[in-house]
Amino acid sequence: MGRLKSRQSGKKFLAVTGLFAMGVMLLLPIFVALPALAGGGAPAAGGPPPDVVAAEEAEGVEGEEAKVEIGRDVYYKTEGPVVGAPAPKTADTEEFYPRYNFESRVLLWVANQQHLYYGSFVLAVPIFCMCIEFAGLVSKDKAMAKKYDQLAYDFVKISLTAYSLTAILGGILIFTFLTLYPAFFGYLSSIFRPVMHIYALMFVAESGTLYIYYYGWDKMKDGLLKWLHCSMSVVLNVIGTVLMFLANSWIGFMMSPAGVDEQGRFLGNIWHVLHTALWNPLNVHRILGNMAFGGGVVAAYAAYRFLSAKNDEERAHFDWMGYIAMSLGVAFLIPLPFAGYWLMREVYAYRQQMGITLMGGLLAWLFIIQATMIGILFLTTNYYLWQALGRMTGGERFQRYIKYFVFILVVGLLVFITPHTIVMTPAELKAMGGQQHPVLGNYGVMSAKNGGINAIIMTTIASFIWYQRGNRVPAVKWAKFGNIFLITFFVVAHLNNIWVACYGYFIPANVRIGLSVPQVAGTLSCLFFGSALNLAMLSKSRELGPIRWGQIAPRSQYALIMLATAFTWMMGLMGYIRSSVRLFWHVNEIMRDNSPWAYTHTIGFGANVISFNVLFFWITILFVFWLGALGAKKAPVPATQPVPGGAPQPATGH
Amino acid sequence: MTWLKLVEGYMPMQMISELAGSILVFALVNWALNRAGMGIPKFWAGIGVWIYIQLYLKYRIYPPIPFSVRAIYGTVSGCGIFMWVSGSEGEWQEFKRPILNVMDGISGFHKGVRTAALIVIPLALGGFAYNSFLPSFEEPIELRTVHPAPPATTKVHGKTFVLQVVENPYRVNDDGKYDQAFTDARIVEQAMGRLMKDVNDPNYNPWDPNAEGYIKYVREGGEIFFQNCHFCHGDNLNGRGLWAYAFNPIPANFTDAGTIAQLQETFVFWRVSKGGIGLPGEGFPWASVMPPWEQHLTVDEIWKVVMFEYWHTGYYPRTWD
Repeated sequence: MGRLKSRQSGKKFLAVTGLFAMGVMLLLPIFVALPALAGGGAPAAGGPPPDVVAAEEAEGVEGEEAKVEIGRDVYYKTEGPVVGAPAPKTADTEEFYPRYNFESRVLLWVANQQHLYYGSFVLAVPIFCMCIEFAGLVSKDKAMAKKYDQLAYDFVKISLTAYSLTAILGGILIFTFLTLYPAFFGYLSSIFRPVMHIYALMFVAESGTLYIYYYGWDKMKDGLLKWLHCSMSVVLNVIGTVLMFLANSWIGFMMSPAGVDEQGRFLGNIWHVLHTALWNPLNVHRILGNMAFGGGVVAAYAAYRFLSAKNDEERAHFDWMGYIAMSLGVAFLIPLPFAGYWLMREVYAYRQQMGITLMGGLLAWLFIIQATMIGILFLTTNYYLWQALGRMTGGERFQRYIKYFVFILVVGLLVFITPHTIVMTPAELKAMGGQQHPVLGNYGVMSAKNGGINAIIMTTIASFIWYQRGNRVPAVKWAKFGNIFLITFFVVAHLNNIWVACYGYFIPANVRIGLSVPQVAGTLSCLFFGSALNLAMLSKSRELGPIRWGQIAPRSQYALIMLATAFTWMMGLMGYIRSSVRLFWHVNEIMRDNSPWAYTHTIGFGANVISFNVLFFWITILFVFWLGALGAKKAPVPATQPVPGGAPQPATGH
Repeated sequence: MTWLKLVEGYMPMQMISELAGSILVFALVNWALNRAGMGIPKFWAGIGVWIYIQLYLKYRIYPPIPFSVRAIYGTVSGCGIFMWVSGSEGEWQEFKRPILNVMDGISGFHKGVRTAALIVIPLALGGFAYNSFLPSFEEPIELRTVHPAPPATTKVHGKTFVLQVVENPYRVNDDGKYDQAFTDARIVEQAMGRLMKDVNDPNYNPWDPNAEGYIKYVREGGEIFFQNCHFCHGDNLNGRGLWAYAFNPIPANFTDAGTIAQLQETFVFWRVSKGGIGLPGEGFPWASVMPPWEQHLTVDEIWKVVMFEYWHTGYYPRTWD
């Protein structure tokens, strides 16, 4: 007994020491970089040769002051000492744009996109792991706790292989930059030099933490050690998020540069370079996007395993896994349009022409495709939930109302995807009597589109509430009143949404933008208040029957695969749009792209490259899935004890 | 179909309401028939609703909707109907039954249909392929960018304007200071269809010869408009001027929610100054015959006419504060 105790306390000590060491290692890069940050990004190590230093010292302080050139920040309008070289003025030569016998931009596009897909995935999945492991940790039901723990482990197992691929793709990306765009990459590196190594060291810290987190799963499965293990996932996610923020700062700088003067010379304030006009909107949008994407990919994995399952137990487990992953993904999908709206608003505010190029001009049709993809995501989610009702006793009582939900979703989507710039033949244009259609033209603007997407989101929330109630009937005393209140709440939110959408046509644009607040407030109230009220009503409920995990129609699993594919395609599309909006600039209005590929591709070509990227990603991720399944085969066969939902008992070891 | 008119000003909501009403009627009829034991099979109900929506869009909505948009609507409504008929396992089985019956050839009739389908479907596909290869003499589709992105700066009469920050010098309050809220409150009141109804504030009446400040500039802008612009853009600024139909596409309709209402005032200033000839590369195929008005009007006149356009249509220029 005493031996056991001492072994446990030894374990605790090791865990605490390990975590402490990890924390120190985490902070180390920041300490190392502090002198560079304080010096505004001046060379941190080495410095000029001793003879130069001696000559400078001989010139005296006055001479030094006279030499300092002051530049004006293009965005912050503050003044600062010029400490960097100007952005290179490139020309279409081998020196600036060495090339293979192929379009360099497409090569870079593919390398970048693949790295981004995997990067998003491995940043999102540990967040899910954290949430699920925590849920298991606090769960009082031991069987459920084990189930959650197994699920979290399954998630991280998939992300581990993907993590290696992310690193490999990151290397390929850097090589592509160095070999095809050396001048541009050199300039960008010189600007971000003060944080470049922080990024690299954070990557090392992320790898270390992830490996300890994964391989320590069994060793740290009980008591305090389990809590430490779970808190390690928090550390892991903090590092991941900082990594992503740093990467985002580069694209933020390319779109809306700051911290440099008009010639692109660094002015010594790295915070200005990082904190550009679009950095924070990009950060928020990408976090949510990554989470939704990660959820989609894991759901697709579960669907794949469900469809290839050999027995009911496996089917039940992967049905449940797919549902959890889909729910997590959709939970982040719901606020995503609002974050996107904020990003676009900031883009417009930053540069009018950029906003118009995106949403009213050259790239407007790509936005219509994007709206279609968003619609597909929400429609597919609803479809999955309706199918999921089929595996619940009592779920059929909701299914007869599906047609009304379909109607709201379809009308919302039709409004949402109606193009502002309509594709038509000259004959159709003549017949229409102008570029704008008097009926549909009104759907082509933001006011109506906000109404459309909010109607879709609210309907999706209602489908979730249906799902929660699938096999349960509220038994609280105030159930009748609660039901009436809930229905009235949703009806009023829909009416408010429609009214605000119509009212938006009669007020100035700046006020109209503000109107999205009551619209979003209505939708979010449905989400938070509606769900909370529903859960309160179900806190005391009568169960009509168990959830028959594994007995869901196979087409629901195809819906999950479609959901994930749509996420992937949309990410590729939006990345292309975001990057294309710079038109012929490497760094907007600072460094011109003089390569032969500084033009905007046709929509068809762009769509083909995006599709290629999606296909490539799914082929490689199938390999990752296959590896995951390969590992699972070696896991001990679970005991066949009955567990809630009929799911298999998780393995006791990994 | 003109027996029930689409009412100007209500058309977008009218279209949705009519579709919603029709679907509700279908649902009620189906419910009643089901009660009477004569329910419409799901397969035919789904196809019927889809065909109804396509016919509605093609024949009810006027002016005609371009094919590209009808194709989008057709696909989305098709997806919606699929979601409906396969929403529950029972309905899905019911929907599939006629198809499976034909494929299995459960009776002589079904065998006949199957044989016909095996002949008709390949023929139809062949016909479609043949038609798509036939030479077409129709003008090709133009993916025209109605609002090409403006440059960061534009030079008019030798002066450089930074479009992101420049303000209309005539959009001023009684103290002569730039004040968008003040001028927004004094635009013309709109009747249905964005036709001018009345002035919002009798103290700011452009027909008053003694009017001063903002409203005087609106009046001057109006004079410039009716001397130069209304021939194409029309008396009501709806793009239906005397000469409008001589052009393809016809001139911009300022009363539409998708034109000046979506733009910053500086964008309109740039477009008026530079005209069709000054459209950037993105404005392909540069289908605009608007003259570069900087060759005929002064900078002040351009600002005034732009302000008049907003005043008359009752729209407000886009701003970000």
